[in-house]
This record gives sequence, structure tokens and C-alpha cells, in this order.
Amino acid sequence: MGRVVRSVAAMGCVVALGLVRAAAAPPDDIFVMAKDVGDVITLDPAEVFEFTAGEIVANVYDRLMMFEPEHPGQIAGGVAENYAISDDGRTIVFRIRDGLRFHSGNPVRPEDVEFSLERVVKLNRTPAFIVTQFGWNAGNVEDLIQVVDARHLRIEVTEGLSPGLILNALSAGVASVVDRELVLAHAADGDLGHAWLKTHSAGSGAFRLGRWKANEYIALEANPHYRRGAPAMRRVFLRHVPEPSAQRLLLERGDVDMARNLTPDQIGALAEHADLAVDSYPKGAIVYLAANAGHPVLGNSAVVQALRYAIDYRGMADSFLAGQFAVHQAFWPAGLWAGYTATPYELDIEKARSLLEDAGLEPFDVRIDTLTSSPFPQIAQSLQATFAQAGIRSRIVMQDGRTLWPRYRARKHELIIARWSPDYMDPHANADAFARNPDNRPEAGLAGVLAWRNAWASEDINAKTIEARDTRDLAARERMYQELQRRLQTEGPYAIMFQQIDQIVRRRHVEGFVSGVNFDHVYYRMVTK
Amino acid sequence: MSAVRAWLLVDVPRSRWQARCQRFFLGWLAFRQNAGAVAGLAIVAALVAAALLAPWISGSTGVVPDLGNRLQPPGAAFWFGTDELGRDIFDRIVWGSRITLYIVGLVTVIVVPIGLAVGVVAGYVGGWLDSALMRLTDIFLAFPRLILALAFVAALGPGLENAVLAIALTAWSPYARIARAEALTLRHSDFILAARSQGIPHHRVLAGHVAPMCMSSVIVRLTLDMAGIILTAAGLGFLGLGAQPPTPEWGAMIALGRDYLLDQWWVPAFPGLAILVVSLGFNLLGDGLRDVLDPKSRS
Repeated sequence: MGRVVRSVAAMGCVVALGLVRAAAAPPDDIFVMAKDVGDVITLDPAEVFEFTAGEIVANVYDRLMMFEPEHPGQIAGGVAENYAISDDGRTIVFRIRDGLRFHSGNPVRPEDVEFSLERVVKLNRTPAFIVTQFGWNAGNVEDLIQVVDARHLRIEVTEGLSPGLILNALSAGVASVVDRELVLAHAADGDLGHAWLKTHSAGSGAFRLGRWKANEYIALEANPHYRRGAPAMRRVFLRHVPEPSAQRLLLERGDVDMARNLTPDQIGALAEHADLAVDSYPKGAIVYLAANAGHPVLGNSAVVQALRYAIDYRGMADSFLAGQFAVHQAFWPAGLWAGYTATPYELDIEKARSLLEDAGLEPFDVRIDTLTSSPFPQIAQSLQATFAQAGIRSRIVMQDGRTLWPRYRARKHELIIARWSPDYMDPHANADAFARNPDNRPEAGLAGVLAWRNAWASEDINAKTIEARDTRDLAARERMYQELQRRLQTEGPYAIMFQQIDQIVRRRHVEGFVSGVNFDHVYYRMVTK
Repeated sequence: MSAVRAWLLVDVPRSRWQARCQRFFLGWLAFRQNAGAVAGLAIVAALVAAALLAPWISGSTGVVPDLGNRLQPPGAAFWFGTDELGRDIFDRIVWGSRITLYIVGLVTVIVVPIGLAVGVVAGYVGGWLDSALMRLTDIFLAFPRLILALAFVAALGPGLENAVLAIALTAWSPYARIARAEALTLRHSDFILAARSQGIPHHRVLAGHVAPMCMSSVIVRLTLDMAGIILTAAGLGFLGLGAQPPTPEWGAMIALGRDYLLDQWWVPAFPGLAILVVSLGFNLLGDGLRDVLDPKSRS
């Protein structure tokens, strides 16, 4: 008996804490968000590869090239005022803006940009591939990035890449410009200030990092001298609230100005609320089903084709995914340059069955790996039901990311439902992940490449990916990427299902929040209340 | 009827069989006085009935999504409402009772023999073997159950069988303690010495005389433990390490339903209620059984 009483009492306390913890509404010049910020492990722009940290870095650092919140779809100069590309496309000279200053007061000079990019290559953390694909490495990067004079910086690439790709890559988080003097003052053991920058900031963006307390909050302070004017909010506060229900309670009571992780059903219930408003932003994240081609049955492309017809895309998008995911079946998101919107697949059990019969297959068992967090378990169960109708028995295994990703990277999965977000705003970012697999041997260990993880490779597709990457004519390049996406829809090991739509709910008087297509194109500086 | 009753209550039983029936009947009379215990028995009986009759009680298998009927409130069509994929929650709870029984049954089958064997041998043999076995028991006792179960499941991979195994591996140690304490008091009693002097070998004394005497304490402990086992299984399910979807395990149902707590309260509330009622039932039954079986508490 005692055990039950204790458990019930404990449960009661948890609920009561969530409900009762009283707080006043935030002051007029402080913007408070409720968000799950448990994914933050570092705030060093040379290392950040997570959703929340990417967003913080975007608000704290100006990048060489940027997507400004005023025109979120259009690449523009950030720290760079303009640039000149050589005829062979291998050299770009950037002119750095006059009069820029870091939060520390130090001027922003070409030397800082040079240091920031070299630092990324030398530290060589996860996102470094975005710039090392230029042919940069620790040995040659000092020669390939050169300060020309007090206002100009020259970069060279050794690969024949499309200039569009280079500029897009230089708008990613790794192109954040850090304060060379300040970072070097905190360097220890030749780490280029890495240990210090993990928890501090040294940028020139609209905000500077006030404090990050892991699994509690992140506080940003406004930069009153920002080049595009001081933000209206003196302080931005991201409060770690992992439970969507708790976020909703805080928002309804006015303790926070915005909730970032509400579920579609919660948002449906809040739609009529007089003080709240819902905003939707299409994002670049894609949810897909992947089949390990190394598996004896799943390696058969007819089976993957049958799976594509055994998915209730429309039913899911209209019910438990409503408003937060749209049906999308190509690897590059709709709404972006070279996006491909054709959706040739819909639920057709008869077709799936006949494809399996034509392939001469007996009914078989398969394991579906996915994440424990919504909406992945729901998607998996919907797939399981429609697969069963087509004669494929499946078993779902839910895991958290720490268990699931190593399994996926080690090619140990059979079917997996996962999410992918492009690392920079050029279709090569996803083509390089979904389509191109230069070395399919297990020992190659290309764990960042989805095609390799699924043991799938095509010489022809590899060549087409490289050709598209290096093409300079924009119209031709766009056609090539669309053709690649069309071919992957039937040839690849994936059934791409949905594109994410970010839904945020805010207090009605809070305006100016901008969320662009890429995961880190989220800007706080235009927020007013 | 009264003839049977008279036979059961006669002062001097004529056979061993009659004596046994008498003991059982007297126990039942005592048990019946305790209203809570009877309620507990009724709950457990209902659980077993639900598990046995699931195909006839429920209208569906409880696993096939019906997206057109999601999140329907409780009513005539769906007594407990429907969940986020349109499945009848009542049906899922009924089918889930099989999983709950499967968990407690399997844990019992693993835990009781291990705990009993270790405890009885340690208490009866004594000496260095006693020390060795008891230190092993101490090690398992010292770990928090859920943490150890988490570690086991993390190593073995998520799944219902592994969750059961993990719970069993962490739950046997108290039984060894109880059995050892009982065996210690019994090892020098006259009937054991008499059996030994007649040449009965140690292993048969252990199995035939010592172990049965420990059973009543073990059964009481087991019924009281059931609630803990169910809660641990539900906890593992809640953390995504127990039963995998679409299995209607009650803890997993709460975990996936907690996003709906505010607007569709029935999604997590009914499986939560089921866990509460069944845990309570086992606890009440355990309390009642202790009053009947424990000689020390008899007035």
C-alpha cells in the first residue's frame, strides 16, 4: 500500500509543480520563449550542428554571407559588403563592411574572417565538411584564404564548384565571424579558444550570449550597436520546457511570449484563443523512410517501390500531422530554389501487393527503427498498419537519438524513419547526402552520407551529382537537380514522405519573429511587443 | 451445502485431505472478514477475466489505426474514447491486461524459484556458502530497481521480454532474504532433525520440508510486490524501453498520450487509472493474504 501512496503522491507533486509554479508576465523589453533546448551541447560556431544551438549562433554572430530576416529567401552580404568572382570561379574576393564592431568593441577586419574560417578547418568538428568540400584542409587553408588589404579578403577553392554553392556554404553557421583578439585571449593548449567559445560568445550579431545554463535556460542580451539598428528587445530568454503541455500552460497564462514545441492537436485547441496567434513557417526538414540496401529483401528495389505505395501520406498529413507536416516526396524542400514538388506516390495497397508478387516475394518480417518523440511513433504505427495490408509484417523499435543514430551510422538498421535538415541552402547539401555515395564499402565509414548509411550507390547518380554541383549556368543547374530528385524517387533507397512546417504560438501582441526555411534561419532581432 | 460446511468445520479431521480443506476454508473465512482484501481479490479476478476474455469483451484488436476516428471523447460508441491514432482505448486497456498479467506472471516464474533457492540454500547450509550468496543478494539489493532495469534494457535492447528479464533480475533479492530468514529458524527444528535422522538426503529435506514452509511469506511478499513490478514495467514502457508500439502496454500508452493531457484527458487518464486500480488491487490482496498466512499476525 505504501508504495502506491508514495507513487501517487509523487505524481501529484509533479503535476502541481507544473501547474502552480507562478511567475509574472515578462517585462515589455524582454522576449521569453518556451522551447525544448535540451539539444544544446556547444555554442562554438565551428562545432554547432544542433537545431537550437544553430538558432542561437545565427542571432549572436554575423556571417560572411547571410539570409537577412527582412528577406529570408534571399542570400545577401553579412559581414561582406560585396564580392567579386574570378572568371574561372575559383577565386572570390570579399569586401568587408566599414565600421563594423564586435560586442567587445574590437573592429571587424578581414583578419577576423580569415581566422574564423581557418579555425573551422583546423578544429575540424562535425560541420567543417561544409567548407572543407572546397578542397581546404589544415595544411593548405592558410594559403587559400588571404587578407588582401585592410578591407579585402581573398578565398580560393581547389574544386571546380558552382559559385552559388560556395556562397551558400559561406552563409552557414561555420561562416560566423568570431572576434580574433578576444578568442585568442582565451585560447588554451592551442585549442583556438574552442573550450571557451563553447559557453561564451565573441560575435558582432544582434545579440550577445548572456548566459547558457544547460537544461535550464539561454539568455541573450541585445547589442545596441548592431549594424542594422538595436533590437527592440533588451533581452531574449529561451526557457527550457521539454513538455509541450507545460509550454502550453505557460503560454496561456502569459508567463511566456511564445511556445515553440506545441503539438498539432494542442494548436488546434488554441486556435480560438483571443490572446494567442499561430504562425506557420515551411522548414527545410524532411521526414523519410529509408531501407537498408544491404538487407537481403530490402535490397530489392521493387520492395522499396512497393513500400512507397504502402504509405498513407495523405491520411497522416491530414490527421495527426495536420499543420506541421505537408506531403513532400523529393529530397530538396519545396519553396527553395530547385525544389521539386511532384508527389507521384499515394496509398495504393493493390499496387504494393502486385509489386511484391511480381518480385516473387513471400510475405516477410522487417524491423522499423525510429525515435521515441512525437510524431515518429505515430508515423511508425501508421506505416505498420498499411504495410500489414500489403503483406509486410513489421515490428517497431523506438529509441532515443543516442541509441538510434549510432545504429543508423553503423548500417545496422532495416527500415528507419528519420528526419533530415539541409546543412546549408544549396541543393548540393542534400544531393550530397541522399544521392551521392562515392565509396559504398563498409570500411569507408561515410557516416554523414545517407546513401552510404543505407548501403546504396549508383555510379551514374554519383556522376550526375558532381556534374550538377559544378555547373555554373543557373537554369541548367536547377534542371539537373530536379532530374536527380525525380530519379531518386524511384531509384533511391528512400520513401520521402513529408516536409516540416514550423508552427509557433505567440501572444498576439508579440510580433516580428522570423523563421526561415533552414533550421538556423530564426531571427529574434525584429521582435516587438 | 451445510453438509459440506459441517465436513469442513468438524473438530477432528479424518484424513489429510480433509485437514487441508479445513485449513483453506478457515483461511477463507478469515480473509472474507477483510473487506479491502475481498475488493483486491475482485480486482485481480477482473484483471484475469479481462485477459482471458479479451477477444470477446473488446470490439477490435486495439492495434489498427483508424485515422478518421481519432481523439473521440468517451461516449456510447467508445466507452473510454479513442487515442491519437483512432484506436478504442477501452479495447487497448482490455488487451493490455494480457501484457500486465504476462509481465507479473513471467516475473513471478523467474523471481520465486531463484529467490527461494538462493535463500533456502543459504539459510539451511550456512557457513561460507551463506556469506557468499548473501553478499551477492546484498549487491542486487543495493541497486535502485529502476536504474538497474534501465541499464539492463539499454544493454539488451528495448522490448517487452527484455523489460521483464530486467525487472526479474532486480527483483529476486528480497525473496532470497525472506527465504533465508525462514530457513534459519527451521534448520534446527525437531521435524527437520527427525527427517535427517531417518536418512533423508539434504536436497530432499530442502525441497520437501524447508522450501514449503517458506512459501507463505514469499507469496505475501510477491502479492505486495506486484504493484511495484507493474509500476516498474509501466515506467520502462513510459521511457520507451519496455513494450514497443503498437503493443497496448499501459505505461507506453500514458507516455504517448501525455501530449494530450490538457484537451483529450482520456488518452493518458484511462491507462493511468488502470495501472492505479490494478496496483491497488494487488496491494489490498497482499495485505489480506498476510493477515491470513502470517502465523505471527494471527490473534
